[in-house]
Amino acid sequence: MNEIIAAGPGLSAWLILAGVLFSVGVYGVLSRRNLIAILCSVELMANAVNINLVAFSRFHGDTLGQAFALFGIALTVAEVGVGLAIVMLVYRQRQGIDIDDLHDLLG
Amino acid sequence: MTSTTSSADASPPPIFPLHADHLVLNLALIALLLPLACFVLLALVWPLRRAGRLAGWLSATVAVISFGASARLLMLVVGGEAPLTETVGWLVRDGKVIASMGVHIDGISASMLAVVTLVAACVQVYSLGYMAEDSLPAQGRYFTYHSLFITAMGGLVLAPNLLQLFAGWELVGLCSYLLIGFYWAKPSAGQAAVKAFWVTKFADMGLIVGLLALYGATGTFAWDAHLVGIWATAVPALLFMGVMGKSAQVPLHIWLPDAMEGPTPVSALLHAATMVAAGVYLIVRAYPLFELAPSLLLAMTWIGASTALIAAATAIVQDDIKKVLAYSTCSQLGYMIAALGSGQIMGGYFHLTTHAFFKSLLFLGAGAAIHAVHSNDIHDMGGLWKTTRISALLFITGSLALVGVPIFAGFFSKDLILEEMLEAGQYVPVAMLVLGAGLTAFYMTRVIVIAYFGDAAEGAEHAHEAPWTMLLPMGALGLLAVGAGFGGDLLATLWGQQYHFGMTPIGITTSVIGLGGIALGIMRYGTSTWTADLLGGLRGFILSGPVDRFWDSAWRQGLLPFAQVVGWFDRYIVDGLINMVAWLFIFLADRIKRFQTGRAQDYVFAVVLGVVAFIAYGMVGA
Amino acid sequence: MNSFPWLSMIVFAPLVAAVVLLAIPTKSRTTTRIVAITSTLVSLVGSLRVAIGYLPGGGYQFREHYPIIESIGINLDLGVDGWGISLLLLTSIIIFAGAFASWTLTQRDKEFYVLLLALVCGVFGVFVSLDLFVFFLFYEIAVLPMYLLIGVWGSTKKVAEAGPFRFLFRLLDIGGKEYAAIKLTLMLLTGSAFILVGILAMYDSAGAHSFSIETLGRATYPRSLQMWVFPALWLGFGTLAGVFPFHTWSPDGHASAPTAVSMLHAGVLMKLGAFGVMRIGMVMLPQGAASWAWVVGCVAVVNIVYGALAAMRQTDLKYIVAYSSVSHMGVVMLGAATMTVEGWNGAIYQMVAHGLMTGLFFALVGLIYGQTHDREVGNMGGFAKSMPAVAVFFTIASLSSLGMPGLAGFVAEFQVFLGAWNGPMPWWALAGVLGAWLTAVYVLRAARRIFWGAGPPARFTNLSDPVGTEWVALVVLTACLILFGVAPRLILDDIDTTTVGYLDTISQTAPPQASAGVRP
Repeated sequence: MNEIIAAGPGLSAWLILAGVLFSVGVYGVLSRRNLIAILCSVELMANAVNINLVAFSRFHGDTLGQAFALFGIALTVAEVGVGLAIVMLVYRQRQGIDIDDLHDLLG
Repeated sequence: MTSTTSSADASPPPIFPLHADHLVLNLALIALLLPLACFVLLALVWPLRRAGRLAGWLSATVAVISFGASARLLMLVVGGEAPLTETVGWLVRDGKVIASMGVHIDGISASMLAVVTLVAACVQVYSLGYMAEDSLPAQGRYFTYHSLFITAMGGLVLAPNLLQLFAGWELVGLCSYLLIGFYWAKPSAGQAAVKAFWVTKFADMGLIVGLLALYGATGTFAWDAHLVGIWATAVPALLFMGVMGKSAQVPLHIWLPDAMEGPTPVSALLHAATMVAAGVYLIVRAYPLFELAPSLLLAMTWIGASTALIAAATAIVQDDIKKVLAYSTCSQLGYMIAALGSGQIMGGYFHLTTHAFFKSLLFLGAGAAIHAVHSNDIHDMGGLWKTTRISALLFITGSLALVGVPIFAGFFSKDLILEEMLEAGQYVPVAMLVLGAGLTAFYMTRVIVIAYFGDAAEGAEHAHEAPWTMLLPMGALGLLAVGAGFGGDLLATLWGQQYHFGMTPIGITTSVIGLGGIALGIMRYGTSTWTADLLGGLRGFILSGPVDRFWDSAWRQGLLPFAQVVGWFDRYIVDGLINMVAWLFIFLADRIKRFQTGRAQDYVFAVVLGVVAFIAYGMVGA
Repeated sequence: MNSFPWLSMIVFAPLVAAVVLLAIPTKSRTTTRIVAITSTLVSLVGSLRVAIGYLPGGGYQFREHYPIIESIGINLDLGVDGWGISLLLLTSIIIFAGAFASWTLTQRDKEFYVLLLALVCGVFGVFVSLDLFVFFLFYEIAVLPMYLLIGVWGSTKKVAEAGPFRFLFRLLDIGGKEYAAIKLTLMLLTGSAFILVGILAMYDSAGAHSFSIETLGRATYPRSLQMWVFPALWLGFGTLAGVFPFHTWSPDGHASAPTAVSMLHAGVLMKLGAFGVMRIGMVMLPQGAASWAWVVGCVAVVNIVYGALAAMRQTDLKYIVAYSSVSHMGVVMLGAATMTVEGWNGAIYQMVAHGLMTGLFFALVGLIYGQTHDREVGNMGGFAKSMPAVAVFFTIASLSSLGMPGLAGFVAEFQVFLGAWNGPMPWWALAGVLGAWLTAVYVLRAARRIFWGAGPPARFTNLSDPVGTEWVALVVLTACLILFGVAPRLILDDIDTTTVGYLDTISQTAPPQASAGVRP
């Protein structure tokens, strides 16, 4: 086990990967106009967090982190479910899912 | 529960100390409370009130009984009954009574009560005839007010302290307001009623402050308190301000002529005989206070004498018979005030009494004339002597008493005033009063000549003599107008003074001047050949009402615009500022809300920025 | 002594009725009214019982104690003294009359009564609470329903405003009932914020971990604290008492409110403010009160004269009465500012007298408006012909407001003036007397323009006197005005004992002490 750790990339590599993934997600959320794409970007961010959890768990030897990651994946599924439902309702109401059309909260 | 403190010895619950065997007290209470009961009954039982005639008879009966009780009371007091005060606590402070209500019976109050109830009884009986043409509910209302008036005036007269006197004072003012405005459908009546209330209430501000100052200085409302320093002058001066309003002294007399909008019997009772005399009564009552203020007394003499002269001069040019009598009342009240100012309380009070009789007689006589021709204008009456001889005779009797022709009542009291004032060395005021007497003779002669002996006017030819309900009280008052002057001795006994009538130079002078005024009046108005108009220019000036104009402009150009400004200030500045605050918030919110673009991505961007800033802060801070 | 919880009964009877009304799905108007009126009657009977059963000697009686949050010293602690009795009586009379005055309401009447009763529960609670936290709680309960009561049931008639700033008025929707409701609520809640800060500062400074008014009252507070807490309380409570310049919610609010709400608001709620200033501010913070008394008094004088002058200018009947309330509440505050026995007796008495008087006024205005749908005095005239009884009652209310002896207003005002004359600044009394005269001017002028004259204008042909239940409010209020005017000692003795007790406490705690703490 430890050999694998020693042989593979270090913790910081995993964290950098997660960071890049998260940034890509943020960029996606901020820049995409399509609701589905935004939802995908949110998934990227969530998975970046999961990678972090697993990485820390692996390198600290505490399996609780992996449990949390599993828990997070389950939550993400629920979130996607709700999110897609909202997207569908929005589509039904507006015949489109461009986020620029959704500014009802404009002050 | 908490323990009882030291103030647990609070006085027992207020129960009026009725003594079954105390005749004096019971008589006073009958005179006072029977009319009150009548008022409450008429006020609450509306079918009775709206029945009119029955209410009138009830009220008049009560007034007569009330007079009977006060007459008996007066006899007892004349017979040597000791002064009596019975009170119940009314206001408390720190567990102790500071103001009480009750009755105080002595020579002054008993005689005044008798005068008041006598005139009231006469006027109410008279009203049964005079008001017969009004609608029944209106009559009921009329007599309801009258019953209240007797109670209020009785409470004023029998007051054991100045606070109760003030309470009665305000209540008679209320009755005056209600009765002046009796014909409330007439706009002029409404205005007159409100004006009377405003002017007297304006003067009452002085009276209230006087009471406050009296309480502040002595802790009581007693009229015989001993005041020192500035308060010795200030308190009576403030009280006198109230007197000037109620007793219609220049320049606060303006409400009294307007008050003639009320039914004539009301003018007789309230605005001639009793209520307006309350001011004089207040001074008589509180003389121990006034005595200590010589400068005030001097001012009173001059104010009284000026009023006597100015009002008499004004009376000459009036065509409305009631206005003549109203100004005459002002003038006669001026005599009383002048007398009191010179320290002659006996003279002033004597004149109050005789004036109550002859002036109410005059008003009732005028009422009979008005009743006959349905007009107040003396030129519409002309020749009434032919048709209504009895009331004309009674009116002339009253006039002679007013003018002060010897043996008539007014002669004795006016003579006493002038004589005593002369002794006191008030030469100029005396001269003014004597001149006033001459003018009085002139204007009364003018009225009599035009109204009773002039060319017969259209309506006057078919005039009918008044019914007996009107003539009977007039007859009673006529007797008093002739005979009351001989009551000086009686009055003096009540006061514990001596009164001897003697013909003095001043008396003779006044009589001569009075007769001269009569002669002049007959010459001027009796024959149409003598045409020189003595008062040509003056007439216009007086009729334009200079004092009235002054107050009117103070109201129209002073108070009302000021209230407008205050109202504007409140609406636009005070409230405006508060609305401004509200508007400011709305304005700011309008700007701030621009941050709410409504786009989810903008919010996320803000979050990201925040995170970046947070991290940057952490790195710099570290 | 404590066998029956009279005070709880008084306070919670309206609340119980409100809950019952919510629970029963009745569509019957009569049932609604019977439930509401019964509960107010229960409170009235309870108040009378308490007033009669109150033993001379002062102090808090009819005590009740129920713990709520003992860890920080919050309890439902009830008790009355002479002041409380008078105001309990006033409140129960007004709400009894007010419940009758709303008889003819048709729109959402059940909800109206529910809110009205909840509000009254709050008012009763304030007058009997001996716990500052609960006091504040009740205070808010009393203030908040007003928003809905005015906003939903208010008069839809807008006051047309002319003048150069007309556009601003339109911009803010000034004059509408919604405007009035939100203005009133915001101003009063701003005041509440001050009160809450003041209460917490006192709680903190006393350090006794108790909100009990008695415990806090025994504590002495540092002068520096008193110097800022008293003004905070004065401003907070004063806003509700209509203290200048925070009175402007009152004309708009009263003009827009339905009859019973106006009655209750001007008649009772404004008294909560004055009561708070006196009971909490002055009694518990005597040094602060003594230092600020001259400001309180001078502002009160402004209230009296300014309110009267502003009333003189108004042409809308409800605005006249509302400004007269501003003026008369000035008399209450003046009495309070004098810190004398007469002044405080007069102030409490004026609360009762003014409550009855203004309740009667608003009931009458409601009757008139209900028939004319017009409040413009200039359009009226000669109403005495078709509504003589209303004219009589209006005159009686007017006379009480201008201080006619024999009616309650005189007893109150006269004592206040006595107190003012013997207080720190005698000229206050002069201004008060002037205010009474100005009252006579505007109130009689209004009465003449409404009732006197040849007869109603053509468009008001079918006016009539009150019918049926409408009489109750008028008769009850008038009878009380006369009763308290003729026999003041019915309540004055108890008020006096209480006042003297408070002033004694104040004079004992007057010497400044550096440290805060509960005295042994």
